[in-house]
Amino acid sequence: MAAAGTAARLRFAGIAVLVLTLIYAIASILAVPRSTEPFTTYAGATYAHASTAAHAADLAAGLGLLSAGLLGWVEPRTRRLGVLTLLVGIAWFGPDWEGWDGGSPFLRSLGAVVTPFFLALLFHLVLALPLGRLRSWPARGLVVAVYGVAAFVSLGRALFRDPFLDPYCWRNCLYNSFLVHADPGIARTLDDVWVRSSLAIGLLLVVMGAWRLLRASGPALRVLLPPLVPGVLAGAGASAYAVALLRTPLEDPRSAGFLAIFLALSLSVAALALGLAWEILETRRTRAAVARLASELGEAPPPGTLRGALAVAVGDPALDVAYWLPGAQRFVDGRGKPMEAPVAGHGRAATPILRDGRPVAIVVHDAALLEGPALQREVGSAARLAVENERLQAEVLAQLDDLRASRTRIVETGDAERRRLERDLHDGAQQRLLALSYDLRLARAAAEAAGDREDATLLASGGDEAQAALGELRELANGIYPAILADAGLAPALATLADEAPLPVEFGEVPPERYSAPAETAAYLTVLEAIADAVGREATFVSVDVAREDQQLVVQVRDDGAAGASGLLHIADRVGALGGSLEVEPQSLRAEIPCE
Amino acid sequence: MRVVVADDVMLTREGIVRLLNDAGIEVVAEAEDADALLRHVRLSRPDAAIVDIRMPPTHTEEGLVAARQIRAEHPDVCVLVLSQYVEPSYAMRLLEEHPERVGYLLKERVFDVAILVDALRRLTDGETVIDPTIVSRLVGRRRREDPLEELTEREREVLGLVAEGLSNKAIAARLFVTERTVEAHVKQIFLKLRLDTNPESHRRVLAVLAYLRAGVGAD
Repeated sequence: MAAAGTAARLRFAGIAVLVLTLIYAIASILAVPRSTEPFTTYAGATYAHASTAAHAADLAAGLGLLSAGLLGWVEPRTRRLGVLTLLVGIAWFGPDWEGWDGGSPFLRSLGAVVTPFFLALLFHLVLALPLGRLRSWPARGLVVAVYGVAAFVSLGRALFRDPFLDPYCWRNCLYNSFLVHADPGIARTLDDVWVRSSLAIGLLLVVMGAWRLLRASGPALRVLLPPLVPGVLAGAGASAYAVALLRTPLEDPRSAGFLAIFLALSLSVAALALGLAWEILETRRTRAAVARLASELGEAPPPGTLRGALAVAVGDPALDVAYWLPGAQRFVDGRGKPMEAPVAGHGRAATPILRDGRPVAIVVHDAALLEGPALQREVGSAARLAVENERLQAEVLAQLDDLRASRTRIVETGDAERRRLERDLHDGAQQRLLALSYDLRLARAAAEAAGDREDATLLASGGDEAQAALGELRELANGIYPAILADAGLAPALATLADEAPLPVEFGEVPPERYSAPAETAAYLTVLEAIADAVGREATFVSVDVAREDQQLVVQVRDDGAAGASGLLHIADRVGALGGSLEVEPQSLRAEIPCE
Repeated sequence: MRVVVADDVMLTREGIVRLLNDAGIEVVAEAEDADALLRHVRLSRPDAAIVDIRMPPTHTEEGLVAARQIRAEHPDVCVLVLSQYVEPSYAMRLLEEHPERVGYLLKERVFDVAILVDALRRLTDGETVIDPTIVSRLVGRRRREDPLEELTEREREVLGLVAEGLSNKAIAARLFVTERTVEAHVKQIFLKLRLDTNPESHRRVLAVLAYLRAGVGAD
């Protein structure tokens, strides 16, 4: 109910704004004195009187602003900008109302009140480009100050300026409906304050506009440039006007200087109106594109599609989408790769996309191009399902990555443990067996020296047993972890494997380079298991090729054994844990092991 | 003969020292790691150094590295590497740069004083010592078309002794034949296996080991 009421009120407001603007526009066209009419200062005059060109430029600027404002008003995302533009347009016609020869004194007085606000509104509009919102506190402060000066001058003149007593009056020297107390001194001072303020405001507009142009990022510049450049030019025009007034207090539209300044200012404002209209239409196109996202993404888009689609829709190639995984408490991209928590700054805004009040993603985008709330609203309504889909997909991919990492860790931990065991065997049991063997030799020598043959024989046999135990221990340790693999690399380790193999093992080229320990171990174990498997299938030989292909270590093993089921699951697991693959065929296998 | 012994396990080191002393060989210094070993070799200029392959700090192949360094810096000092690995690669790496006066023995053999003393004497005579277990494993390696089958029983025996690093003279003494007979056998073996190394050169041990390791006919 409340929503329906709001919608109805909005619709009513929309129609009202449209009608009022149209009335104002028509009235202004009628009120602006035609250039065909004689120019009479004192009774009422405007620049439109001075020349056809000025008349046309005046109307083009004002009507252009009103049209652009209406255009902006219609689209919710640009409504704020539209309202501001409408107000600038209304204020633009202030001087024409003031100089309306034969017009209502009240309306002419009102025109005079409105006139100073044009520059203040223009200042606000240009600073608030492209979305009608002031982004920084200093900008807000300046705009408030400018409005303050304009209001002060406007009010002061309304209360104390009797145009009849003003020696420099020209548009309207008869009426001021709001006059409370005529004081030419105050009026003169206010005029002076306003001229100097106008100069300052105009220059400030030029400087701040130029600074924004220089600072804007590429995508932002695309929508910023068309309205901002004329805006800056209009600021320059306002400054020039103020300078002219400082030099020649009695303004004369027929003088070449003043006319030129007026024409330049009008054309700048007309261009500003065009630029604003273009920007508004561009924003609408963006919105339509975002709204189409959901359907374009289809049922099952490939990972990372949303980012690209949003970037195109918004016109910001650097746009990024970070998905929040509540379980893992971290951000990932569309492909599930972990990424830094997005932060706003350097002209980038980070806008959370909510679903049921919980953030599902954060979109990092150009702050100037798109407003967070607008993005939230539109993505929220149109593509929320796509966002959620993609987030879920990203979550699954991230979990897959985690799983892979954890498998790799398990394998690496296992290998480290085997290495430790092998060392422990050498440093512990083997040393003790060596010592035992030594003692048995000494005892045997002593027994022989004492002529005790029986003991000597017994001790000799004990010594042989100890030697045999040492040999077996050595084989065991080597089976647990081949030290040569870690010390010297894959090629020597494979050669040793062939030395001990119960069937001929032939090698093609084995690259002599060293690779990561997990890759070398996986390649080594692949060959080891393949040989054992070939022996199990009664092969008479095995041939092994190892080659480096791009980022992969490719191990190929062939044999001539019987075809049969292979028990190579263990190797598939190990190779898979490194993100590699194992293809097993009846008499051959091929393992691709990432080695970078 | 003056010897330096390097092994980080005191028990083993003491055992070796005692055996050498009993055999009338003077142990001039004992070392617990590679640095100390190199220092002692530099200072006492021994005839030979007995080096454990695994020593601190990483317990991988410090001994092997130290052995190669000793051979490079002191060509007159023999080095006998003791290892727990039946690993031809280590032995061959030891021979690569300095093919004489180096030995690679399995650790469990050192308490057989006869083998130890024999190895040291052979090294000081300019021979090479490769552990018989390694050689027999290489000779016994399975091959698809085994060129060793072309050799007679006696030639295979001689090949094994060449691979163990024995000189022709030592082989002759071992087999109770004349040195000339051994020379003839060796020539015949090299011809049959198409080994193009000079059968009399110091590099023949490495050449034979590499040949046996390659697994197929050398070409």
